[in-house]
Amino acid sequence: MIYIIDHNDSFTHNVVHQFEGFGDVTCDNFNEINEDKLNKSKVIVFSPGPGAPKDYPVSSNIYKRFKGKKKIIGICLGFQQILHCEKAKIIEQKKIYHGYQSKIKVTSTNSLFKKNRKFNVGRYHSLKLKEPFEAKNFEITMRCDISNVAMAIENNKENVYGFQFHPESFLTENGNLLIKKILSA
Amino acid sequence: MIKKNYLQDLNDSKKPFIIYKSNKGFDLYTDFSKKIILTKNNIEKFINESTKLSSKKKETDLFIGFFGYEILNNLIGIKIKKQEGLKFPMGIFYKPESKLKLSNKLNYKNLKIIKSNKLFKINIDKVSYKVIFDKFKKKIKSGETYQIKICTKYSNKSEIDALDYFSRLVKSNIAPEAFLIRDKDYSIISCSPENLITKKNNFITTKPIAGTLKKTNKFNKVKALAFFKKNIKESKEHNMIVDMERSDLSKICKTGSVKILKKKIIEEYKDLYHYVSLIGGRLKNDVSSLDIIKAMMPGGSVIGCPKISTLNLLNKQEKESRNIYTGSFGYIKFNGDMRFNIIIRSILNYKKNSEISVASGVVIDSNAKHEFSENYIKAKALMDLYK
Repeated sequence: MIYIIDHNDSFTHNVVHQFEGFGDVTCDNFNEINEDKLNKSKVIVFSPGPGAPKDYPVSSNIYKRFKGKKKIIGICLGFQQILHCEKAKIIEQKKIYHGYQSKIKVTSTNSLFKKNRKFNVGRYHSLKLKEPFEAKNFEITMRCDISNVAMAIENNKENVYGFQFHPESFLTENGNLLIKKILSA
Repeated sequence: MIKKNYLQDLNDSKKPFIIYKSNKGFDLYTDFSKKIILTKNNIEKFINESTKLSSKKKETDLFIGFFGYEILNNLIGIKIKKQEGLKFPMGIFYKPESKLKLSNKLNYKNLKIIKSNKLFKINIDKVSYKVIFDKFKKKIKSGETYQIKICTKYSNKSEIDALDYFSRLVKSNIAPEAFLIRDKDYSIISCSPENLITKKNNFITTKPIAGTLKKTNKFNKVKALAFFKKNIKESKEHNMIVDMERSDLSKICKTGSVKILKKKIIEEYKDLYHYVSLIGGRLKNDVSSLDIIKAMMPGGSVIGCPKISTLNLLNKQEKESRNIYTGSFGYIKFNGDMRFNIIIRSILNYKKNSEISVASGVVIDSNAKHEFSENYIKAKALMDLYK
């Protein structure tokens, strides 16, 4: 079962429908975590949402508890949530991307995806990862083709994945394929 | 057949009635056997029970009326602290016993002259608008909201002939979700262009508008589309609304059934072009009318995104009640089918007070001066009726 933690976002149910294409999904608000279901799940997904990772200590705790034990996937705020727990700094950016389609590029040979592949994605983020960023087993694997901002992280050893863009947005090309690949990794 | 002076007589009779735009003309509902005033305590029961009544397959097997903004907030668990305002009911629904079809040309001429040309007052001036605008822009930078609509309200003291106002309004602007409610102590006159819910059997659609362009000689439909496609700000606002409405529908629809049926098209009206999308899905088997209303209302395109945190920001800011503004008007049939719009471009007249609320969006690249005057233009079309 895939357990999606909703951070009160208006895109979360697009994420739910996308993941439901690949397995059973339960979605609960971060305020109403069902411990039983959380424990039974095979995959935990941190949804997008307003604000910053520090606003969601519950999600940070869940990440720390289950890192390395279950597959964890973060989207937008969820991506930042993972980074925040890995001691990264999440900062405001000068140019803000809300409802923006932009081209991104796979930048690492260690990615599940083919290096140098480019595709269009939908973005909804005010904040971004401050670089340089380093954490054990983590690698930045995708970047914005123009601004170079980090767009994906992968930790294939402990099965942690994150996307700054929105794979579930209608603005993202092949979003389903992306999720399928991560889930079957 | 409708008698020639039917509308005239109905209007003179002081009997409550409702007119709602239909495909070919208007539907008129009257002879109300029930009037339900909604409160926090009875709304859920009302919605649940309205679709449990046995249908006699009559065209009047429905409840028609409106949900105000506050009650829709309450319904999804958002509280609004005490605001100033007219103390207008949070929602009212009627059970009609008569339904008549009217043509697009409403046969009504106001004979009495009612003077009501008192000046309109605005609740937020340009300077305060800028302060709110800058505050919300900061909230966008910190990620608390991605798009938020600041509401301003114009009001005056006036006694109006609502049917006269409505007839004149639809003569110049026949909006697909236009409606009029005329009751004893209040009336609502609306040329809403935006459908929020159309539900037939297990199929549901929503048709958000994000992007409006005033018609000039410079533009035709093709050029208007090119304008929106090229305009990054308008495109971004629209994209956001499309993804938000997809998500709202996904709460109540079967997996994989939510589709963008019309993606970013132009609809042409008398004075404007609208940038519109149509999104639809197949409802899950166990979804109730209450689930549908809670998933879709208040309509996201007039609030901002993400809905909950944006509503909280707005409610903390606004000192005056929105009343009907950004609520929803429409009907629920006994068989569970429904049609609801978003209440915008509307006049509420209650106990001799008129109010017209308008809003426009703040995204990261909006400009306060531009949005403030945009609001004025939207209100002016309605204020002109008072001349």
